[in-house]
Amino acid sequence: MTGASDGQYDLRQREFRRFVGWSAGAHIAMVAFAVISPFSGTRIDPSQVIAVDLVSMPASALPSPPAPAPPKAASPPAEKAVPPPPPEPPKPKEIVLPKNPEREPSKPKPKPKEVAPQPEPQPEKDLEDLLADMRKDAGETEPTPAPAAPQETAAAAPTGVGGAATVAVSPEVLAWMRKAKVHVKRAWVVPPGFRREALETHVTVELDASGAVVGEPEITQRSGNPWYDEGVVRGIEKASPLPPPPSAGEWKFVFVPEDAF
Amino acid sequence: MRASQAVLLLALAVLVAPRARAQDVPIVIEQGKSKSYRIAVQRFADNSTPQSTERVARFRDALQDALEFSGLFQRIPDGAFLGPLETDSVDDGAPIACPEWSQIGADALLQGELARNPDGFQVAFRVWDTARCRDLMRRRYTQKATADPEEVARRVADDVVEAFLGVRGVSSTEIAFVSDRSGNKEIYVMEADGSAARKATSNRSINNFPDWSPDGQAIAYTSYRQGNKPLIFLSSRGALRPGRLLATDGRSQYRAVFDPIGERLAVVLSNGGSSEIVSVGTDGKNLHRLTQSGAIEVSPSWSPDGRRIAFVSDRTGAPQLYIMDSGGGNAQRLTFNGAYNTNPAWSPDGLWIAYETRVDGQFDIWLIDPEGKVNVPLVTNERSDEAPSWAPNSRHIVFSSTRRGRADLYMIDRDGSNLRRLTGDAGNNTAPSWGPFPR
Repeated sequence: MTGASDGQYDLRQREFRRFVGWSAGAHIAMVAFAVISPFSGTRIDPSQVIAVDLVSMPASALPSPPAPAPPKAASPPAEKAVPPPPPEPPKPKEIVLPKNPEREPSKPKPKPKEVAPQPEPQPEKDLEDLLADMRKDAGETEPTPAPAAPQETAAAAPTGVGGAATVAVSPEVLAWMRKAKVHVKRAWVVPPGFRREALETHVTVELDASGAVVGEPEITQRSGNPWYDEGVVRGIEKASPLPPPPSAGEWKFVFVPEDAF
Repeated sequence: MRASQAVLLLALAVLVAPRARAQDVPIVIEQGKSKSYRIAVQRFADNSTPQSTERVARFRDALQDALEFSGLFQRIPDGAFLGPLETDSVDDGAPIACPEWSQIGADALLQGELARNPDGFQVAFRVWDTARCRDLMRRRYTQKATADPEEVARRVADDVVEAFLGVRGVSSTEIAFVSDRSGNKEIYVMEADGSAARKATSNRSINNFPDWSPDGQAIAYTSYRQGNKPLIFLSSRGALRPGRLLATDGRSQYRAVFDPIGERLAVVLSNGGSSEIVSVGTDGKNLHRLTQSGAIEVSPSWSPDGRRIAFVSDRTGAPQLYIMDSGGGNAQRLTFNGAYNTNPAWSPDGLWIAYETRVDGQFDIWLIDPEGKVNVPLVTNERSDEAPSWAPNSRHIVFSSTRRGRADLYMIDRDGSNLRRLTGDAGNNTAPSWGPFPR
């Protein structure tokens, strides 16, 4: 039983032919609209975002699955058809295969890239790629055996650890920051329920010369979700001792879940 | 001229620039490596008379299974324990040696006591955050003496989830659905993890669209059991009277959906060549028409505050989602993308409406917020994914999918992760309705 209608009559059959017809027209209209639309980049101004750093990415008020609403076969009120798209689609763990590629008109969902002309809002896409690159640069993916190449780490400073390019951070400090980051990341548990939420917690942690956490980490900016904040503090406590810092004292950390936007 | 200006500016910049220290540069942690907490679950002390090692073992197995079902926890095997395998006491004066637990990688420790006596099944438990060496939750409650150890264990597990996540787990909830595994389409009920499926109807006709009452004591459903015409019935284990709900006026009754407080139902009735939505008391009285457009109007879903109803209408020529006041009127169109949208399900926390959208002749599941500002895909398999229903904690959705050929029920987290199949033994399994938290 694959029918979804409530009754016996089948709405789907009845509407299908009409749908295919004007869906084609609507698609063409959509593509045109996406190309010339002045709205396509309203949500995040890329220049703004690039100017600041990863720390201060705007946190959305919306609680959950960020994703673009890829323009589907549009209906007349065009302003509704281009909702402000958040930057990244949620990725259900299933492979989306293109099917019936010859049936162009009814192809509105996000599919593998080779399925040609997708009226996707370009600016957001670029921004996302850029951010991905920045993250990669920042050494996100592999635990870099840090101190080996101080020059290279110094170069990565502005994007890697918060972006304040004016701050003179010595290569030694940078190397430690990277080690500390990898170390804390391993200890911090982010439950599935928090992974795509727009949450951000700022914490000041006092470390002694050996890297052990002294006293209670102090939350200087709450995320709005106390259980998330608790989890952050739990992660720091679990990470103690951190690698020995360049100097004992207070250090700042910012925690954001996986796909926050 | 330009050069001198530049020099000036540079000098100014150097003077004015905040003299930040290295320590002021935050270390940004962008994602934790791990998605689940590792939890050590002690064997609960047995204060029953007589004691039963079998009961304690069953309780503990069910507890660990339910904790893992949440997706939030991963059990630590007994062999890894450095600390005691069995709880001594959950009283105040019973501290734990946190390093014994954090050394084996336990983020959390769950301790407890249980006692099954003629006056009830009592459980007390205490959850520790071992890194901070603090107890996060301590609870004690009494279930009826006849309660299964498994049932009590799932309650405990759902509380432990709440201690870490802020929302209760759903292992102790049930899912009603339709299956043709017996040869006829009957209503079934199973545990949220897909286990223990049992029949709720057995009338050998066609039964469809189960919907739970908010107290979990009744299920409304559509059945062809009388006169070969769809009519609404109630199956009940509580105060509501089972059997026919609405007197027949010759019209077909396609589907009934309880409001959030269990006082009224929204019912889809045939209306000439189309259908309309009415609301009616759970006693079958006080019928009130909600839509009168003459179009086909189906699939009502109440907002959690009971003030609005999402529904589907083809009044513009194609089925789209609308929202109206629950007293009728003030219908606003919600979906403008896609030419065929149906089966809305309003999340219990009110934030999202899950619905089906047709793509290439099959259905995907999307989420839209009730203001229509954010519209995102959730399930986009190439086969049909249909009939979304929310878990009472608004964290998961159960739906029906034909991705393996036959229709089976799957659950997925709201963020698109943790896809799991819940049925698969036999038959086609469709039209899921996720029940409420147990009272």
